[in-house]
Amino acid sequence: MKRRLAAAATLGLSAALALSACSSSSTSGSSSSGGGSVTLHFFGADYGTAGTSNTTQTYWQNIATAFHKQYPNITVDVQTIDWNDFPTKLHTLLQSKNYPDIIEGDAPQSYAQEGIAYKASDVLSESTLANLIPTFAKQGDYQGTEYGIPFTTSTRALYYNKKLFAQAGISAAPTTWAELQADAAKISKLGNSTIGYGMPLGTEEAQAESYMWMLGAGGGYVNGGGAYTINSAANVTAFNFMNTLVKAGDTEANPGTVNRATLWSDFAAGSVGMVGGSPAVVPIIQAAGKLTSSDWATAPFPGENGTVTNPLGVDDQIVALNVHNQQSAIQQFLNFAYQDTYQAQFDKEYDLLPATTSAATAEENDPIFGPFVKAIPTSSAYPTNANWSDVSTKIKQTIGAAVDGTAPATVLGQIQTFALSNQ
Amino acid sequence: MQETVDTPQAAPAPAAEPNRRAGAAAFRPSLARRARRALAPLPWLAPALALIAFVVLWPVWEMFQTSRQHINSYGFNLGDYGWKNYSTLFADPNLGSVMVRTVLWVFAIVAITVLISLGLAQLLNRGFPGRKLVRWALIAPWAASVMMTAIVFRWMLDPNNGVVNVFLHQIGVVHDYNGSQASWLGDPTAALWWMIAVAVFVSVPFTTYALLAGLTSIPADVYEAARMDGAGKWRTYRAITFPLLRPALLVAVLINLMNVFNSFPIIWTMTGGGPDYQTSTSTVYMYALKQFNIGESGALSVVNFGVVILIVLVFLRANRSALKEG
Repeated sequence: MKRRLAAAATLGLSAALALSACSSSSTSGSSSSGGGSVTLHFFGADYGTAGTSNTTQTYWQNIATAFHKQYPNITVDVQTIDWNDFPTKLHTLLQSKNYPDIIEGDAPQSYAQEGIAYKASDVLSESTLANLIPTFAKQGDYQGTEYGIPFTTSTRALYYNKKLFAQAGISAAPTTWAELQADAAKISKLGNSTIGYGMPLGTEEAQAESYMWMLGAGGGYVNGGGAYTINSAANVTAFNFMNTLVKAGDTEANPGTVNRATLWSDFAAGSVGMVGGSPAVVPIIQAAGKLTSSDWATAPFPGENGTVTNPLGVDDQIVALNVHNQQSAIQQFLNFAYQDTYQAQFDKEYDLLPATTSAATAEENDPIFGPFVKAIPTSSAYPTNANWSDVSTKIKQTIGAAVDGTAPATVLGQIQTFALSNQ
Repeated sequence: MQETVDTPQAAPAPAAEPNRRAGAAAFRPSLARRARRALAPLPWLAPALALIAFVVLWPVWEMFQTSRQHINSYGFNLGDYGWKNYSTLFADPNLGSVMVRTVLWVFAIVAITVLISLGLAQLLNRGFPGRKLVRWALIAPWAASVMMTAIVFRWMLDPNNGVVNVFLHQIGVVHDYNGSQASWLGDPTAALWWMIAVAVFVSVPFTTYALLAGLTSIPADVYEAARMDGAGKWRTYRAITFPLLRPALLVAVLINLMNVFNSFPIIWTMTGGGPDYQTSTSTVYMYALKQFNIGESGALSVVNFGVVILIVLVFLRANRSALKEG
């Protein structure tokens, strides 16, 4: 039944293509000369909620439709999936050899290592390539060549609930761990199921929360030379401190099982004092309608001895696969999708930051996004090691144990061993 | 007693009899004829054998092959790996606790399920007003998707506003929402017990129906004889109901053992096997491994397959006599 429908659709589509090819060959002079119709498979992350109006499926579908109008022989099949299921779904696709042509949301290094990724310069025009923010463009490098193309970016800061701060008698955002601990304790004592500090170490994005704390202690996942230092003394210090927070009841219970999405919506509901977040928290707060814009603010993330000057900067990359040899079609689509209007539309929809220099400059003085944009040049990104994707999955699955009774040194040591033995 | 059970099965036997007698009556057949006779059923069996080879043996062989390859998380085969996946697997610090947990998980669920089902089947075998309704209602957890049931339970246990916590808060058991007491699925031990409860909830209907079928097949005259001999209720149950129920019970237990060992959706949906694999059984752990190393995951699959075969063999051997009687 479905197949017949698909066959009918294909027939209709090809008829339409044939007709449009006859009538208006001038509209798309740049389309490929082969004449055969091409379908590109796009697999991306959903930054909104599937089934609602803000799903990223709609964003990409609109681009694909507009693109198809201009290049009628190229159809882009769009599939998006929420962040929590994204890695599993993507790996299932790849393991069963159903390669997408374009992937948005995964690090490019592993694909480059396998030799199935196009270089960025193969699938993007020079002007677009030059407009990418250098800090993040470097994140797409594998052995000195750029493969990944940053699509959207964010830096992280500390969100705090001014209403709860006032109730607990706190006047300013914390700048050190000690202050954060004192503030979190005061807020969690307010009762009414209030969480002092939200620490999402569940599988959704444990690697980000961990990294923010590691940076606060002067640590990180890798050293300057790119070698893994996951169980470094600084990182263990960070997790020991996180443990004292958890044990004192200043965080939610069992942080290793709580996801970022839960805590962000709890913050928006007014029941969390502080939580680390990207600009994407803003629309959640607005949608919940519980906090007015004067009830909350952001501040730099506190470190052991002062605020973190090199906060976590995350960029989600696009990588194009060469498995189906669709270089020219991919290039046409990406150049189309990286137009300023679409970048701006994405940032507006999800309150994330742009990946292009021109768009970033325009947002520097925005009252909400300004601080996030200004943090980009000094931000710390994730490692670019070829196996980072696997290591990141391992971190998501296991690092929660380090605040759950197992000694941090043991947990971090196991992840370090994994990182080194699965290169 | 034995005769009453055996008679219905003896009925179809004559159909096969003439064949055997004809064979015995014939003179000593030549080797070729004997071979032909031995192979004669093959055309009739062939479709079934081909099906078994295709859906059972071939996948097992493929699974074994996979477990000896080095395949990364992107599905690229990096070549032959010998036994390295197995040595990595057996050196894995998590494997021991995962296997112990699996045994506990299987044993607890099957034991609790069978106990509850024995009682329920007895109840449903009795006439009482509304029996039909109860029998229908019992199908619900079986008919509903396990994944859906698990999601519903996860929501019910939400530390902030799950209905279970709201209720426990109102009766004064849980003091604070969002507290460690309310975070049932965050604590590995509590999470495991809740998931066992859900697993029992979804296994009870099938087990009860299997036992109920066994109960209804016990002839009434046996009970009549027992009553005449003056056997009490408990004695009747122990000496008549339970022994005659054994074949049905064995089948129910065996199917449950394999189902529960392989059960995946409940744990995956409710805790994802976390934190840190502390609620993973071997099936869930196999899936977690698959995200970095398919070969090692394949090695664990082979181990799991062996365990299932072992359970079945031990179980069948232990109950050989009972199965023959049935």
